[in-house]
This record gives sequence, C-alpha cells and structure tokens, in this order.
Amino acid sequence: MATELKAATSPESLIEDYRHGFHDSEENYVFKSGMGLTREIVERISEMKKEPAWMREFRLRAYDIFISKPMPTWGDTALLNEIDFANIHYYVKSTDKTERSWDDVPDDIKRTFDRLGIPEAERKFLSGVSAQYESEVVYHNVSAELEKLGVIFCDMDTAVREHPEIVQKYLATVIPQGDNKFAALNSAVWSGVSFVYVPPGVECPMPLQAYFRINTENMGQFERTLIIADKGSKVHYIEGCTAPKFSTSSLHSAVVELIAFDDASIRYTTIQNWYRNIFNLVTKRAIAYKNATVEWVDGNIGSKLTMKYPAIYLMGEGARGEILSMAFAGEGQHQDAGAKVIHAAPNTTSMVTNKSVTAHGGKTTYRGLVEIFPGAVGAKTRVKCDALIMDDQSSSDTKPTMRIHEQQSTVEHEASVSKIGEEQLFYAMSRGLSEADATAMIVNGFFDFFVKELPMEYAVELNRLVKMEMEGSVG
Amino acid sequence: MSTPIARVSEIPAGTTKAVQVDGVPVMLCNVDGTIYAIEDTCTHDGGELDQGCLDGCQIECPRHGARFDVRTGAALTLPAVIGVATYTVRVDGDDVYVEA
Repeated sequence: MATELKAATSPESLIEDYRHGFHDSEENYVFKSGMGLTREIVERISEMKKEPAWMREFRLRAYDIFISKPMPTWGDTALLNEIDFANIHYYVKSTDKTERSWDDVPDDIKRTFDRLGIPEAERKFLSGVSAQYESEVVYHNVSAELEKLGVIFCDMDTAVREHPEIVQKYLATVIPQGDNKFAALNSAVWSGVSFVYVPPGVECPMPLQAYFRINTENMGQFERTLIIADKGSKVHYIEGCTAPKFSTSSLHSAVVELIAFDDASIRYTTIQNWYRNIFNLVTKRAIAYKNATVEWVDGNIGSKLTMKYPAIYLMGEGARGEILSMAFAGEGQHQDAGAKVIHAAPNTTSMVTNKSVTAHGGKTTYRGLVEIFPGAVGAKTRVKCDALIMDDQSSSDTKPTMRIHEQQSTVEHEASVSKIGEEQLFYAMSRGLSEADATAMIVNGFFDFFVKELPMEYAVELNRLVKMEMEGSVG
Repeated sequence: MSTPIARVSEIPAGTTKAVQVDGVPVMLCNVDGTIYAIEDTCTHDGGELDQGCLDGCQIECPRHGARFDVRTGAALTLPAVIGVATYTVRVDGDDVYVEA
C-alpha cells in the first residue's frame, strides 16, 4: 500500500492536470454501448449486469416514461435543448468484474485514480471507499469494522443481487421513475455508485466515500444512490466528482434517494467539479421521519449547466433538515441550484444556506421552495441566500418560493446580492497581498460557511479550485 | 334516489373513468371487479390523476409519478405527501353510485 501512496500526485499537480485536461486510453473498455438510447440498449444493459426480471422491467418502464415525457419548459431551456440524446453513450463498462483490493485494480484505471488522489483519501479514512470509474464500480472496500456493525455499503449492482428485498422495498419510493424526464432516464440506464443500509442504533464510525468521474467522450453517467438509515442510526456519506477535459458535451444525470427513519441522521456531502462542457442534471431527495435529521452539503463548481435542488421532506414530528450549498459559475456556465424543504409534520425545523459567486460572464440562479403543510404546527424555517457578482458581465437570479399553509409556523427569508467592496480590497492589499490574492481570499471567506463543514482534504481542494477559478477576474 | 354516475360496463377491470360528482372531479377505478372512487386531483400538483397508470390498487400520477392507494386514498410515494379523499361507492346491477 505504501508504494501506491507515494505514487499519488500532490493536490497542486492534480489541479494543474485538471486544468489542462487528461484522459485515459479507451482501448481497454469491455463494453461500450452505441450512441443513442433504444429499448434494446436498456435490455442489453440489464442483460450485461445479469439482473433479475423485476429490475429489467423497472428499467424498461422507466424508458417508456423517458420517451413519453417532454423536455422541461422551465429553467435554462436554451441550454437544455442543446442536449443531443442521440449522441450519447449510455453505458460503458471498463472492466468485467468488481475489484475488492486496490492491488487488483487495472493499472490504467489506478493511474487515473492516483491523479485524483484516491489513495490519499484511502489513507485518511482507511476504509469505506467506493470508487466509480466510468459507469461501473471497480473498486470497493468495505472494512471489516463496517461489516461487523451490520452496515451494508456496496455498489447498487451488488445490492440488487444480494439484497433484493431491501432494494425492491425502497428503490424509487422517494424519487419515482416518473418524477421528471431525467429521473426516468436515470431509472432506465442507471449504473453503479452506492447502496447503504445502516441497521437500527448503529453509528457509522467513519464517513463512507464514493469518488467518481467521467472519462469517455460523450458518455452519459447515470449514478443511482440509495441510502437507508434505520431507526436511531447515523451515517455520513461523501461523494466527490471530477472530470477531464473534452470538447463536446457530456450528460450527467444522477438520482440520490435518502431515507432517515425515526431518530436517524444522514449527512450527504457532495463536491462537484465537472469540466465546463458537462450537463449536470441531478435529482436529490430525502425523507426524514420522526426526530430524524438530514443534511445536504452541496458544492457546485464547473459544468456547463447544473440543475440541482436537493430536497428534504420532513414527514415526522420533530424532524430536522439542513441544506448548505455553494455554487461558482465562470465563463459560459450556468449554476441553477437551490433547495426544497417540505414541512409535513409538527415541530419540524429547517435551515437553507446558499451562497454563489459569478465571474467572467457566468450565471447563477437560486431556485428554492419551502412548503409548510396544514397541521405542521410549530414548524420553523430559515432561508438565506447570498450572491457575489464579480464583474459587469456576470449575473445572478434568486427565485425563492414559499407556500405557507399553517398559521402557527415561523418563516424567515433573507437574501443579498453584493460585490467585493473596494475598502475590503484596499485593507487586504495594505497588508501586503496582491489584488488577485486579496480577491481570492475574500471569495474563499465568502464560502467559509461551507468549507468548514468539509473533511480537511476536500476543504483544501475546494479552496484551491476557487482560487483557480478566480484567476483573471482582477483588472 | 340519486342517478347513477357511470356504468360498470364502461370501466373494465384495471381501468379508470373520470366523472363529476356535485361539481367535484372524481375518478372511478375498477380493481379486479371492485369499483373504488377517489378525488381526481393529485395532492402534489393539483392536476388530474385519471390519465395515470392503474397498477393493481395503486394509481400513479402521470406527471410526477406519485402513487396513491385507491382503496384508502393514502399517499404511497413522494412527491405526494398527503392522501386523496375517498368516496363511498354503491353498485346496483350495472349502475354505479357515488356518495360525495
């Protein structure tokens, strides 16, 4: 293991590599579906994965829904309509079996992971790594400690095979196949990523991590994640994404379902760092039952268009939800992100904090919903969204929606739009910083609320990425 | 004696029919020969349910996939949170009566 750790590149060189784009030879792929999506391709995916009949039917039904549903008529429709569904590979399999040991992972795949710093993450957390390369989980290491506690942490394909009773019971109960066109697409062609089940009363002793990226040009990546925290349990799941540079658009459309039963707690941390030609259209939703807590920590940098609105349905009395999100939009990028909280039970509380920065002509949109149902007596919610606009070419919209149907509830909303003050800059520069460093420092400070919630290595990477994105925005 | 709202022969097993009962949109469902009546309005977005797929005793909203149990009205999956109203159905020969 020690040898591999030495082989890992430093975060600085990682960013340099990322800036200039890198990708692996695609010669070693075991299977790559043709362009476009047909019933036959969906059937072939199911066949290749050796799935039971019920999952095959699930996919085919979703395919029918996907075909019948029109494209969304809201949001950035001009960009959305640029997606050419006929020009996408819907399934790529890079190796024919799931590996459990790092030593067994093929060398070219390992090199890519090394550049992304996976071994360092492994060293830090020592277990619980589930790394997705292309569409298939190729490396999965569930520590003996997790197994001893009864925690199930595996890729979704394994879960379908080994825990069909749990998957069938909960899959698509939070996000049905017909929820939206992209959830239907995901349900039809999903591949890889994580299934987590935490038994009653068990606290996961370490965060569970999945790290994935897109490599094949024009390849859609359709991750499916299902996390179930049974009564009184606790789990923290971390997902990080990065993608190499390519010239044409790729589509990423994930579905993430979280279920927190009574008194359980789930935190889901995401750092998205897609390259700027990627469409990132994600559906994320959680249910929190009595006295349960769900937290989404969501960082969005990169991509061409991101549409992502993590949602929490507070279904049991005393349930609590928190959504922390940050977005950075640079040249040619639109970060359309937000949050949804539904208070459907008494004494539920929620907090939404969203901060965005736009520079070089980028655009950010905060699109949020808070709904308090009749009978949700004592519900409390606080929404705060702040936007920082770096130049005259950039823009930011805030579109908060509040539907309050219960008089005995407390709702707070706060929003601000600002630019970096000259006095702030002058002060920082008077202490010896260059204008660029001062600006980057102020922007990093703006995101501090978010960064301090991240594990150390992610916090360091995010600060560097923000600094990198800010380059050239001075003067 | 009220007038029948529909005929059983118009609603083959596994299908639905939209009707109006005292100005309220109601959906009739034939589940294995038994007729059930629920309000024809999804509690998620306020649209009709009758164009959705009837799967056993569950109706799926055609727009966002929320499911309701047509026997009890209960919401079974998100994005619906609260159930739909149910109505008492009486069948007399081929005639269907609904008490709104």
